[in-house]
Amino acid sequence: MKTIPLEAFLVVSMILFGLGVIGIIARRNLVTVLMSLELALNAVNIALVGADHHLGLAEGQIFALFIIALAATEAAVGLGIIIAIFRLKKVESTDEISELRG
Amino acid sequence: MGKLIIFGFFSLMAILSGIGIITLKNPVYVVVALLSSLIAVAGIFFTAGAELVGALQLLIYAVAIAIFYIIVISAVPWQKAKKSETHHRFEGLISLPVVLLLYIEMIVVFLLGVKASPKGEIAKFIEKIGNAEVVGAILFSKYFLAFEVVSLVLLVGMIGAVLIGRKESQTYEDDTT
Amino acid sequence: MEGLFVILTPLIAFLIILAFGRKIGDLGSGILASVAAGLTTIFSLVVTLKAIHNPIHIKLYNFLPIDNYTLQIGFYFDSLSSIMTLVVTFVATLIFIYSIGYMKDEFGTWTFKFYAYLSLFLFAMLLIVLSDNLLGIFFGWEGVGLASYLLIGYYHKQKKATNASFEAFVMNRIGDWLFIFGIIYTFYLFGTLDIVDIFAKVESVDKYALGIATMLLFGGAVGKSGQFPLHTWLPNAMAGPTPVSALLHAATMVAAGVYMVARLYPVFEATPQTLKLIVVIGAVTMTMAALAGAVHSDIKKIIAFSTMSQLGYMFVALGVGDEGGAMFHLTTHAFFKALLFLSAGAVITAFHHHLYDIFKMGGLKKYMPVSYVAFMIGALSLAGVVPFSGFWSKDRIIASMYEWSGVLGVIGTIVAFITAYYSFREGFLVFHGQERWREHYGKEVKEVEGVMTVPMGLLGFVTVLSGIFGLWLEHWYVGVIGGEEKGIHLSVAVVSLGVAVLGIWLAYAVYVKEVIDYRKAYGALKAIHTTFKEQFFTEKLYHNILAGGYMQASRYSFKFIDRGIIDGFINALYKNFFSFVRFLWKNLDIKIIDLIIHESVLTAFRVGKISRQLQTGLLNHYILFLTIGVVVILGIMLYILDRL
Repeated sequence: MKTIPLEAFLVVSMILFGLGVIGIIARRNLVTVLMSLELALNAVNIALVGADHHLGLAEGQIFALFIIALAATEAAVGLGIIIAIFRLKKVESTDEISELRG
Repeated sequence: MGKLIIFGFFSLMAILSGIGIITLKNPVYVVVALLSSLIAVAGIFFTAGAELVGALQLLIYAVAIAIFYIIVISAVPWQKAKKSETHHRFEGLISLPVVLLLYIEMIVVFLLGVKASPKGEIAKFIEKIGNAEVVGAILFSKYFLAFEVVSLVLLVGMIGAVLIGRKESQTYEDDTT
Repeated sequence: MEGLFVILTPLIAFLIILAFGRKIGDLGSGILASVAAGLTTIFSLVVTLKAIHNPIHIKLYNFLPIDNYTLQIGFYFDSLSSIMTLVVTFVATLIFIYSIGYMKDEFGTWTFKFYAYLSLFLFAMLLIVLSDNLLGIFFGWEGVGLASYLLIGYYHKQKKATNASFEAFVMNRIGDWLFIFGIIYTFYLFGTLDIVDIFAKVESVDKYALGIATMLLFGGAVGKSGQFPLHTWLPNAMAGPTPVSALLHAATMVAAGVYMVARLYPVFEATPQTLKLIVVIGAVTMTMAALAGAVHSDIKKIIAFSTMSQLGYMFVALGVGDEGGAMFHLTTHAFFKALLFLSAGAVITAFHHHLYDIFKMGGLKKYMPVSYVAFMIGALSLAGVVPFSGFWSKDRIIASMYEWSGVLGVIGTIVAFITAYYSFREGFLVFHGQERWREHYGKEVKEVEGVMTVPMGLLGFVTVLSGIFGLWLEHWYVGVIGGEEKGIHLSVAVVSLGVAVLGIWLAYAVYVKEVIDYRKAYGALKAIHTTFKEQFFTEKLYHNILAGGYMQASRYSFKFIDRGIIDGFINALYKNFFSFVRFLWKNLDIKIIDLIIHESVLTAFRVGKISRQLQTGLLNHYILFLTIGVVVILGIMLYILDRL
């Protein structure tokens, strides 16, 4: 049986990661920024699983599991922060949060 | 060949959904695009033979996390969402060549990596006893400590999220008076 | 076991008085010290009876292991040390009792300290006498020095007393310095500090090296016993209370030097060159001190000079090889010298410390009969008149001197004559003649009380008794100590008795009958008088030439070297450096460094002003920069990887 080549996984992963990065940079809404982040994390998972598939190992899948767990945590905390920011400043857009401005 | 077609289908679906995530204006549509993308990634996992990860991807991401986002979106009043300006257009345009450069570099890395990588040794073993058992066996022996740490991280994240999201205007006032 | 009590009782008394003196009170402290001394006497009597024929060696514990020798703390009771202990403790007990009466005027001004020091003094002296090793002797030696320093300077409000205590300490320090080097050298030679071991090894050691060691040890004795080059502290030490003087001269301090040489006599005996040195120093001291005593006018200083003179006799006796004679004279001297001091102290007490000059006294015979009798017994004994103890011991020494050399014997006879003269000069001036003190002292004089007269009486009794049985006592004493047995040398005895009587007659003629006016005679012979009085100007030499010269030299070196050269150099350096620094500041600092700093600050400010524009505070921008950074770093890494 012909297996899927590693390059295919890597290309898909690469494209999705780039899309996630562009999303993070370009989106104005905080929630959508977080969603783009999830996309980037998924891309990494694809790369790991693909490498596993290619090498015949299981370690990559374990890391993928960890990443999923951490992504869940990140989503929970990040969304909590978003709600807190919204409650405090009544905004939900990145261009209105500029306390770090020099 | 059939597998490759399925893989191509899911990949296309994931990429298209990704483009949707970064371009769609309405946050609800974005969530739907994300959901579609997550399901597509789970499909890719299945085609790669990682059944356990794929199942968990569906369960955690596609159900739990997507519902998170929907709840948050519905909890926050989105006056701004109606605004036409949902993107930083200039930054987005600048990021395109940067990401393109990143792609080129990644391709170089992949090419180097693929050339150097060996072929699978325990693939037969996996086929014999099944994916979930292998992953479980490795997870609960070799990576047991990491697993426990991750469980702790999840717990801390949960507590943190609850604390951050808590209504605390009352306490602030108490402090100031 | 009694041996330990002997040495520990004074120490315990010292500690108790030191700790609880204020609670016990001054009188209580005095009684405690006296009782402790009395107990020590009884213990030492018991030990003496046991040890006189069979030496007792008590080893307490190992104190300090040095290489292959272990220094032990131990006590050695043989005939010499136990009889010395008995004499020391007996005399000290009487003096302690006497001091209760003497210090009565001082009660209420922390006088318990005085008794604590007295006990310490006794303890340190017993340590010297009884230690079985040289280092133990050295500990006692230093303890005696400390206690004498504290006691001589007891009247610390008087400049004279504090100076005297300083002088005593410094002079003793010179001696101690020689002594410790002597001990070190002895240890180097013998490999042991134990006296008994040293005696056993004397024959096996190089004689010349041993000579150096014994000379160093004798240097210690010179300092402690107030012999010629280091003698000036002894007369000045009279600034202390009289019981201290008595204790110092009779039992504890100055006897230590003689005793130490006698203790180590087997070692000294092996080095004839050191013995010659001892003879010379002893002869010089005894002559000089006798001459000084003959012209001095201070009631206590005369007795102090007589002590120096008698110690000179003892050293000469040691030098000529008559160890038994020296120790016998030390013993008899302890009694009659204590007696003399106590009666002089009684006179001083009678005048309540107002009069010290014997020319301002006189005619005290009928007011103070007990003191008079005591003084006369002491003076007769000191002069060497026949039935008194001094006769037997001194005569024996003079006979030994004649045996050694005719010239030395003649010197001994002359000094005996001067001794008789000055001791009776003092006696006659104080107790006979007109009552000159009425011009200087308004109140009546009366005999001192019983607590002072009883010790005097006891000492006088012992002196007379030892004189009456002198011949037998000498025979027994020398036999026990182990010296050379000598019969009485008749011609020498007659001659010295003759010169003693002559001296007494001369003093009687001049100071009682006044056949010549002694005041005019002093005026006529002023040069000789002053020379004698200043001990041939040795004290002036030390004070003015050595100490004063050092001060002058320091002053000049301060003025010229310090002020002129060093300060000038430093000032010039400072001025030049200052002007150089000013020049640097004006040119380098302001024109160059300040400019650089200013410009760099301005540049940093401008750069910051521009670069702060990058800090937009927008999350998206930061992510964009992050991505660019990742791309650039990854590119660099890949470029380098490609090159590898």
